[in-house]
Amino acid sequence: MDLWLIGELALTGALVGLMYALVAVGIVLVYKTSGVANFAQGAIAMSGGYATWAIAAFLGLPMWVAIPLALVAMFGFGMLVEHAVLRHMVGQPVIMIIMVTFGIEIFLRGFMPGTFGVAVKRLDLGIPQAPMFLGEMLINRAYLVGGAVSAALILAAIVLFNSRAGIVMRAVSDDQGASWSVGIRVERAIAVAWGLAGATATAAGILWGSVQGIDWSLSLLLMKALAIAILGGLDSIPGVLLAGLIVGVCESLATGVIDPLVGGGTRDIVASVIIVLTLLVRPYGLFGREHIERV
Amino acid sequence: MRLDRRTFMAGTAAAGLVGFGKPALAQEKVVKIGMPMDFTRVYTFVTAEYSQGHRDYLTLVNERGGVNGHKIVADITDHANDIPRAIEAYERMKREGAVLIDPLSTPVARALVPRALEDKINMITTLSGRSDAADGTAFPYVMPASPNYWTQAGILIDYFRQQDKDLKGKKIVFVHIDTPFGREPLPILQALAAKLGFTLQTFPYTPPGNDQAAIWPQVRRARPDWVVFWGAGVGQTTALSEAVRNGLPMDRLSSSVWLSESDMEVVGKDAVKGVIKFEACAGGRDPKVIQAILKDVVGKGKGAGPEGKVGTSYYNIGVMMAAIVAEGVRKAFEKAPNGPITGPWLNDGLHAIANFTADGMLPGITVTKEDHQGGGKGRVARWDGGKFVPQTDWFTANQDLVWAEIRKYSAEFKKTGK
Repeated sequence: MDLWLIGELALTGALVGLMYALVAVGIVLVYKTSGVANFAQGAIAMSGGYATWAIAAFLGLPMWVAIPLALVAMFGFGMLVEHAVLRHMVGQPVIMIIMVTFGIEIFLRGFMPGTFGVAVKRLDLGIPQAPMFLGEMLINRAYLVGGAVSAALILAAIVLFNSRAGIVMRAVSDDQGASWSVGIRVERAIAVAWGLAGATATAAGILWGSVQGIDWSLSLLLMKALAIAILGGLDSIPGVLLAGLIVGVCESLATGVIDPLVGGGTRDIVASVIIVLTLLVRPYGLFGREHIERV
Repeated sequence: MRLDRRTFMAGTAAAGLVGFGKPALAQEKVVKIGMPMDFTRVYTFVTAEYSQGHRDYLTLVNERGGVNGHKIVADITDHANDIPRAIEAYERMKREGAVLIDPLSTPVARALVPRALEDKINMITTLSGRSDAADGTAFPYVMPASPNYWTQAGILIDYFRQQDKDLKGKKIVFVHIDTPFGREPLPILQALAAKLGFTLQTFPYTPPGNDQAAIWPQVRRARPDWVVFWGAGVGQTTALSEAVRNGLPMDRLSSSVWLSESDMEVVGKDAVKGVIKFEACAGGRDPKVIQAILKDVVGKGKGAGPEGKVGTSYYNIGVMMAAIVAEGVRKAFEKAPNGPITGPWLNDGLHAIANFTADGMLPGITVTKEDHQGGGKGRVARWDGGKFVPQTDWFTANQDLVWAEIRKYSAEFKKTGK
């Protein structure tokens, strides 16, 4: 086996894993604050990609203006989802809330391509496409930039959760009743978490959109994000970082090492196997707290 | 808004009048065809443009008085690549008198084959469906009327041979979506590898192909002489992007017919300069038929979609297939002017199509009772940064191997129905 190839696949996988992890951050943020499993995160990432493309294409704005506008718009969209939908589900069985987020996922997956057209859209962030080599290893610039931006945003989320605002969100997560009693505005904390989930999903949608183009298939990021959130621990943002690296590297190596032996198709199985094994062996994930229920 | 009884009754009466109007419409001279297609799920990359081209051509024909005084009326609906929905649409269209169905989806076409054969309704499988349906003796009512995937692969390989003189000792890499469609050309590629002496290395990727990050480093390290990438929609744009990022030479990259101008735009028109693909009909706006559509249909505000899409690869494929169907109808009227307009009546017309070029847009399609491919001709075109430029004349290649495969699988169908 070619060690340079293994090294290249592992490096690419790690960078790709970080980009997956950025989608998973939104799942963790929402779960950590409100206890809701957000199954709409893949479609929200897709919507963020469409929103960025639409702002740039229809308003004729450069990407450096379109991106912040899209992030703000999708932050607002996340808060709107919480306000208009999730808040009305308070007190309902968990399965109903999960179904509602699934409903949002399905709705967005049909609505965005239906509105903006089904053809793949170009989202050019200006990242050079020319190959860059480290010895015999190719460093894919698109994934290098995507991985670096994702890592920075995940670290920012970790910092946020250790700030005053983050402590408020953690308090809400621990005990909503107690939080209310000490004057914390629980609804607002949860809405902000949904807003942040919308913004981080958008960032992921933009990065993935620059790699593959914008179309419905961005919503498929949900599966990878779920695997990462479950492996890392549903309430652990540092867990997301590590789990993203693990999932990305495992998928990449499976494609390079196992695919040739079995004729292909192992890449997507990796995420499924990780979900099942984690739930069987360590349901609360690598860094999650043990009281977490299975979803 | 409240719906009172009077409004309800008036509405019901109006609906009734519309209903009574139907028999009058039925008296119109029409040839009905069904176009249940996937507008919303898997084949979205092609359906909208294909359907637009198809409808624009039918408008052109109908505005000019139709065929033998009959208008060709298309019933268009979305089956979303969902087989139960497609069957439901097929059955409805059959009840309403459709004599031809065009589902533009390999799995749907496969599912409809037994019904089409039993009901004697012609089923068009444009550049898709079962490759063995080229054998008209086994599939009398299934009409690819276009080169199947085996022929497309055979023509691409022959083009490589023309360029390199000899493929012996060369390495050809086949990167494909891991679905029946993606695996379809494998038998021919393997047979050609054995015959011509090249090494074939295959890399399947998981559908829909939006993440091929781990595939292309392996392709690059294989140091191929030629690469054939075989997918659709996002799988194609991702494959091209990864090929560019891995520094593969673009002029050694080739695709099946499912690569369009919009795919090149997504990746970057200049970045993919040199990529080649198979063409079943002429692209662009130069063909006379497209000029006529621009003048008499789009120019008069009767176009079925955005003017900017007129002349794209997929639009022209839609025009091609509508032109073939209209030619089949014309031939059917020549043979039996008084009908009755049924599936077998149109089948006779389709089988009488001979050297049909649609005013130079097609290579010359000839459909016979044996050959439903229409001759299996195509050409290779290269992306020059703005459009696909033909590199060859219309030709066909490796048909001995292609037909050996066709007959092998069609014989199996005759024996087992599968």
